[in-house]
This record gives sequence, structure tokens and C-alpha cells, in this order.
Amino acid sequence: MDTAQSLAAFTHSEMLGILARVDVDRLKAFAEPLIDALGDITVVENRTGLVMLPMRDTAQGTNFHLGEVLVSEAHIRVGAQQGYGMRRGRDLETVMAMALVDLTVSIGVAHTECAAFLAKESALQHQEDHDRLCQVEATRVDMETF
Amino acid sequence: MAYVATRGGERAIEQSQRLFKAEMGAITPERVAETRRAMPYLVDRVMGEASLYDEDLAALALAQTGGELYETILLLRSWRTTQPRLAVADPVTQEGLFTHRRISAAFKDIPGGQLLGPTLDYAHRILATEVLTGTPHVPTLVTPAPHPAPAQQPSVAAWQAENDLLNLPNPDTTAGNDIPDVTREPLLFPAKRAHTLQSLARAETGGVLALGYAAQRGYGQAHPTVNELRLAEAEINVTHPRGTKFSAGRVKISQAEVVSKKGSQLELGFAATMGWNEVKVIAAATLDLNSAGAPKGSATEEEFYLYHTEGVESSGFCIHFKLPHYVTFQSSLDAMRDAKAKQAEPAE
Repeated sequence: MDTAQSLAAFTHSEMLGILARVDVDRLKAFAEPLIDALGDITVVENRTGLVMLPMRDTAQGTNFHLGEVLVSEAHIRVGAQQGYGMRRGRDLETVMAMALVDLTVSIGVAHTECAAFLAKESALQHQEDHDRLCQVEATRVDMETF
Repeated sequence: MAYVATRGGERAIEQSQRLFKAEMGAITPERVAETRRAMPYLVDRVMGEASLYDEDLAALALAQTGGELYETILLLRSWRTTQPRLAVADPVTQEGLFTHRRISAAFKDIPGGQLLGPTLDYAHRILATEVLTGTPHVPTLVTPAPHPAPAQQPSVAAWQAENDLLNLPNPDTTAGNDIPDVTREPLLFPAKRAHTLQSLARAETGGVLALGYAAQRGYGQAHPTVNELRLAEAEINVTHPRGTKFSAGRVKISQAEVVSKKGSQLELGFAATMGWNEVKVIAAATLDLNSAGAPKGSATEEEFYLYHTEGVESSGFCIHFKLPHYVTFQSSLDAMRDAKAKQAEPAE
């Protein structure tokens, strides 16, 4: 496998978006063995908090707040490299796992493993969306008026 | 109105709380998980009114209060204040929504078509009493289409604008903490539109429905037609410390546009909320449509409907009447007795 090319298949944004949706147990199981290769990790933040979610009104174009979403956040460093995670819910361990993967990719170790993990999880998420949208498509209605 | 501090009753209060909780039994992780799994629409309603999106916390609050919804919302609003705000996400736009349901009652052939999505709109309302006699009610699975629906759907309003039926608004450039926020500043009137829409998003469903229904029955100036209704998921787009924008996950939202004729153009009312709760957003959008120029004190005047649909304030005010008002009431009785005594005095 051309590992550089494999990781290059994902932008940083795509990678983080995939990690934010990965199943809790699979993400923790993948991230834990990465720790040894990272050296001394400094935890900058590991906490729960809120993200305010605004929306744009379609009648007058006004941005307004829909409400707040509970998230967990992890921010870690090794030297000048940083790893970051934010996911929905109050699970500090899983968001730390997300930050560990981000840091691992940033440092440049375990590229093969990270690329394979991201590819597999991305495919699962695409399949999940695809399956749901096929169910939604089944509810498409073609109306006739008389 | 006069208030007075009272003492005593500690034991009675303690026992009354025990009596309330005794009816529900132990609250376990399994009960919370089952509440979340079995009642997604109730959980959605709670999250919208609490203005706090987390299914586990909403299910826990429901389990802890035995489904007493006003207490449920109060618990979650209170818990919310213990948490720091870490970020403000990028504004959600209609065109970016991962759409599960999207219909229009105004136009049959809208661009992208009509997707009923998950709904009981056309179901027979028959109670499954066989469950009570031991026969499980097992839902029939969806037969999926061979190809997926588009994840994103075009806007009906954009198509109407192309046909010169309405003018599309200029998008707001206000972002982040500059967006007005009723959780950090008072709601004043005339209200900022951002305050109005945020207040409706967190309003109590029953209150919004009652006032929206009043407007729909004729106590408003404009009769609504649902221009576009969506049940969807929105991405929470946040920023990595290195500046990368990414999605921290999705949340369910409901959005409704209602439309009415105004001169030679159409005018829109709009509402949205977190979670899937389409009755609320249709009623709220009706209030928005009818709000401009509404008579003072009418159901569609914004001060009237925004104050009276705030669930924590309205339920709190209502239940405060249960608390001791002995001095106030004694004063009324004294005045009443005094008036009677004066009436009984022989005229000079």
C-alpha cells in the first residue's frame, strides 16, 4: 500500500469528521496502542462543554441560535505537534482517543494503520448514510391531482 | 403582592419527595438507555425545549422526573448552566441539511420531489392492544429503494424566487458570539429577529401549538400553507486549533417555512428547533408569519407569544401559586371582612 497516498486521500477536515463519528469501542481500541509511539503527551484540555449551534433563517436570512449541543473536547501536545478531538456527548475517553489519532497523523507515525482505519471507517459511514437514504427514497411520493 | 418567609415542614418535604420518587423505583443506566431507545420523539421534544442536545441527558432527566416534562426541562436547563461554552459552530443552512423528510403542501412538483420520510401522517390510528395480551407489535421493515435519495435537497423558496414569487433575503454575515443570544442578554421588545427565532426554538411545544392554532383558526391575519417542512440532520461544524473546519457530529433538527400571499408576492414565516418536532415548528412559523403588525395583546403579537411560550418561566409562575401565600390571602380576607363590617353598620 502506498501509505502516503492513502492518508492523502483524506483532508484533515475529512479525517476529523470521520473520527467524530466512529463507534466508541472501535475508536478506543484503535487509539490505545498508538500511545507508546507518541512520547510524552501533554494534556492541554480534556473536558465536556457546549457548542452553540446557529442556523440561517430562510425567510429573512437572519442567523440565530438553535440551541447548544453537549460535546467532549480533548487537546493534547507532543512538542510542537498537537492533537485535537471534539465529539458529541460526554465521553472524555473516546474524545481523547480521537485526539490521539489526530496527533499520531500529525507527528507522522503509524500512517499505514491510520490510513487503513480511516478508510474502513469512512466506508462504513458512507454505507450507513447510503442505507438510510435508500430508505428515505422509498418514501418518495409521486402525487397525481385530479 | 407580599411574600413571607416560613419555617417548618422539613420532614414533610423530605417524605413528599420520597413519595414522588417511590412511584418510579430505581433509576438505572438500563432504564435511561431504554427511555432513549424507545421514545426518540419525546427525547427530541425535551432536547428542543431544554435547548440542550444530548439524548442521554434528556433520557436521564425523563427517567428522574417520571416524565413530568416541566421538571424535566428545568433539570436540563439547570444542568446546562454548569457547562462552559467551548465554541459557536458555523451557521446551519437549509441546503446543507442531511434530509430525512421534506414535503411541501404549497406545490406538488417541487425541485427534488416530495419525500415523506418517517411519519405517521397517513397511518391508521389504531391502538395495538394485542401487546397488552402478550402479542408483541413488531414493525414491518422498510423496503429500501435501489438507489439513495440525495442527501441534500434544494430550497423551495429559491425555486419560487426564480419564478418571481418572492424575494430571497440577503444572507446574514453575523457569526459566532456576535449572534444575539437570549441566554446571555435580556429579551427586549421589539425583539431582535435572532431573539425571536431562538426563543421559538426553545419554546414549550404545547404553548406554541395553542397560540399558533389560534392564529390558524382565524385570530391571525395570514392563513399559513406549509411551503417546506424538513426533518433533517445538521453538521456541527467547528474549528480545530490549527484552523481546520470539521464536523464534530450531527444533530437532528426540524424546520418549517409557511407561506401566505401578500400583494403580488409571497411572504414566508420560519421556525426551526433541535430534534424532530414538526407540530412545534409549523405552529411557530405560523406565529412568525402573523407577527408583523399584530395588535397589542393578540396571540400573534411577538411579546405575547414569546413571553407566554417560555416553558420554564410560565410553568414556574404557574406552580408558584401553590407556595404559601398566607399573608397575602389573609390580607385579602381582612379587607373583605372590613368591607362586610362596614356594610353591616347602620346608616347614620
